Amino acid sequence: MIRLDSLGVRLVDRRRGDRRWVLRDITIAVPRGCIYGLIGPGAAGKSVLLKTLAGLLPVEEGLAEIDGVNVGEAAALELEVLRRRIGMAFQNNALFDHLTVSENIAFPLRRLFTPTDDEVREKVAERLASVTLPGYEERLPPGLSGGQKKRVAFARATITQPPLLLLDEPAAGLDPVTSQRLFDLVKREVKASGATCILVSSDLDRLLPICDSVGVLVHGSMLFDGTVEDAKRSSDERVYQFVHGLPDGPL
Amino acid sequence: MALSNASFVHRIGAGVVDLASTVGQMMTLLGRILQRSTPARFDRRELLRHLEFMAIESLPIVVVTALFSGAIVVIQAAPVVQRFGAEGLLGWGAGFGVLREIGPLLTALMISGRVGANNTADLGTMVVTEQVDGLRALAIDPLEYLVVPRFYGIIMTLSLMTVFSDLLALFGAALAGQALIGLSMHGFYNGITGGLIEFKDVAHGLIKSAAFGFIVALSSCHFGLATSGGAPGVGRSVKASVVMSAGGIFALDYFLSFVVP
Amino acid sequence: METPPPLTTHESMLVKLGRLVIDGTEGARALTSLFLRTLWFTFKGSRPKGSTAHQAFEIGNNSASFLALTMGFIGMILVYQSAVQLGRLVPDYSMVGANYGELLVRELGPTIGALMLATRVGAGMAAEIASMVVTEQVDALRLCAADPVDFLVVPRFLASLVMTLVVVVLSSAVAYATGAITAFIAFDVRFDVFANLSLVDFGDVATGLTKSIAYGAAIPICSCHCGLEAHGGSAGVGRATTAAVVLSSLAIIVLNFFISAGSFLVGL
Repeated sequence: MIRLDSLGVRLVDRRRGDRRWVLRDITIAVPRGCIYGLIGPGAAGKSVLLKTLAGLLPVEEGLAEIDGVNVGEAAALELEVLRRRIGMAFQNNALFDHLTVSENIAFPLRRLFTPTDDEVREKVAERLASVTLPGYEERLPPGLSGGQKKRVAFARATITQPPLLLLDEPAAGLDPVTSQRLFDLVKREVKASGATCILVSSDLDRLLPICDSVGVLVHGSMLFDGTVEDAKRSSDERVYQFVHGLPDGPL
Repeated sequence: MALSNASFVHRIGAGVVDLASTVGQMMTLLGRILQRSTPARFDRRELLRHLEFMAIESLPIVVVTALFSGAIVVIQAAPVVQRFGAEGLLGWGAGFGVLREIGPLLTALMISGRVGANNTADLGTMVVTEQVDGLRALAIDPLEYLVVPRFYGIIMTLSLMTVFSDLLALFGAALAGQALIGLSMHGFYNGITGGLIEFKDVAHGLIKSAAFGFIVALSSCHFGLATSGGAPGVGRSVKASVVMSAGGIFALDYFLSFVVP
Repeated sequence: METPPPLTTHESMLVKLGRLVIDGTEGARALTSLFLRTLWFTFKGSRPKGSTAHQAFEIGNNSASFLALTMGFIGMILVYQSAVQLGRLVPDYSMVGANYGELLVRELGPTIGALMLATRVGAGMAAEIASMVVTEQVDALRLCAADPVDFLVVPRFLASLVMTLVVVVLSSAVAYATGAITAFIAFDVRFDVFANLSLVDFGDVATGLTKSIAYGAAIPICSCHCGLEAHGGSAGVGRATTAAVVLSSLAIIVLNFFISAGSFLVGL
């Protein structure tokens, strides 16, 4: 269960040297087992929202709560415990260039838990098979294609079977077939494990069918929060325009 | 860096080939820059803009470097001077070292780290974000518009900054002399102007600094344009450029120290 | 979001100056904080074993030949320049080697060597870490309870402490040799006359050692700080790398001044 209550995040704008609101007054609730699609134009603050939930950015005002733990005020140890339950795939993949694919995927498992080597090997092989990259264990990330990196990043995010999955553009730059497979995989695994998933993607055609609810973030404000059907029928012109991908409109 | 099975000899050979090919590419770039310089076919407003920007961005570090290194020359010379009781020679000793060697060398290293590296980063970013291709698509010659103004901007900045930092370093040396061994400013000044330092010492330093400017400008433009591979590529280019500049500065310094009187 | 009114040149110069001062104090505070955290994690960290050895190998492998080359040139230049200077006073070159040896141990070896290391190693560290920051690898580390200071800064810091000394000693030896050759060829100073270490005393060695250690600590702290502060894609990596070279070099020059002045004042 994720609860955001009038969350505000302010970050330093390095070019201008002052601090600027990136998120303002975000209030949403994502129940357990829900796939929540987060959409919106570029630079709306989607990645910032995910990173704030993972405790990577400071909360300026309001509340960000995961299963009753306040992320903004969690102590270091609390945060570490919380992060064992979070899997995250980053927009830029964030694969460690100097580690092999299998070491990359095993990294969260080894850091946050104490598995045996056999367990690690088994789980890594299973993850690689699930993203259709079997046999890639010893490759290095710089030698992979963009789509392969995305899939390795997804495998790393899910290796610990986290109850909360944060996926930032997991399918950007993938071909339509691989992309569809990845979304299907997300849906299948999230539904099977009962995890909660917040999914950022601009591929609305593939995203919306697997979402239980959807949020539209524009310029740091949540314009819409509700079911996909409601979003498609929204009376807010901006939401309507974005969800339907219309070129003309207020955006 | 893969060590794998490549033997030591093999690696040395590969290094030499790499260096030779880089030098060759730099010479080609130099040729293309000169071709656009006579008659001057480049954007003069850009040159002025770069000159102003480069001077402002390098001013603080040049001031700090010059003052401190002038003082250090005196600190290092002080025990010798005291040993022989030759305080009057301090101005001469510091002046000689600063004008011929320390001033031009340290200023060049600092400008290479500041202006040269920045230039590489700028050009490199423009290359990896395809801005340079964008210019070509608009039929604007990237060399005329981007490279040549920066090239001359760096040479001029470094030469001017060397004059400035020579003066500041001597001032720093005089201050340190006063503070550490009680030599008055006047005594220091007499040491400099006492006849043992000639105009050719000043010229020696300035000729070298122009040559350093040339190598910094050329290598920073070359590595900027040769950037590939996204954000990590820009980092690699900057590193390669400062390393090439520093190596080039020392090599040129060596040859010019012998050749220039 | 209102845009501020355009500034006149005067105001903008003042603003720039003010910002410089603020940046300076903030930078000094950030560097101190990074240094303290690095020390803390040196003893408390949970980084993988062997990461320090790996970094030490990288530093040595990347910089040894470059430093030997540049210091070799410096040796030739300095012996030549100082002999020319001496020749205008008294053409007696017998003490050139002795004075050069003292200067090399006390000043040139550590300082010029460290300036070259800052260029080569500092830029490399900053570029590496900055790339990790802008591609979110540092976020991924933090998400896995791996503190970036522990994982990235500490190995580089420890490796640099040791390797700076090693590389400085090696390259100083090269500089001494090239200096001796220059003195022999250009001024007919025999090797046995040049190799006169009578002026090198405890104070010189202590000063040189202190400098090497101080520079060895300053380079990775300055460079990693610039790398970790990177933001904004490939342009950000470029800016961080540039800033690292400048900041490390400045730190070396300022430290050099204080250590030199200190050792002069206590009479070493």
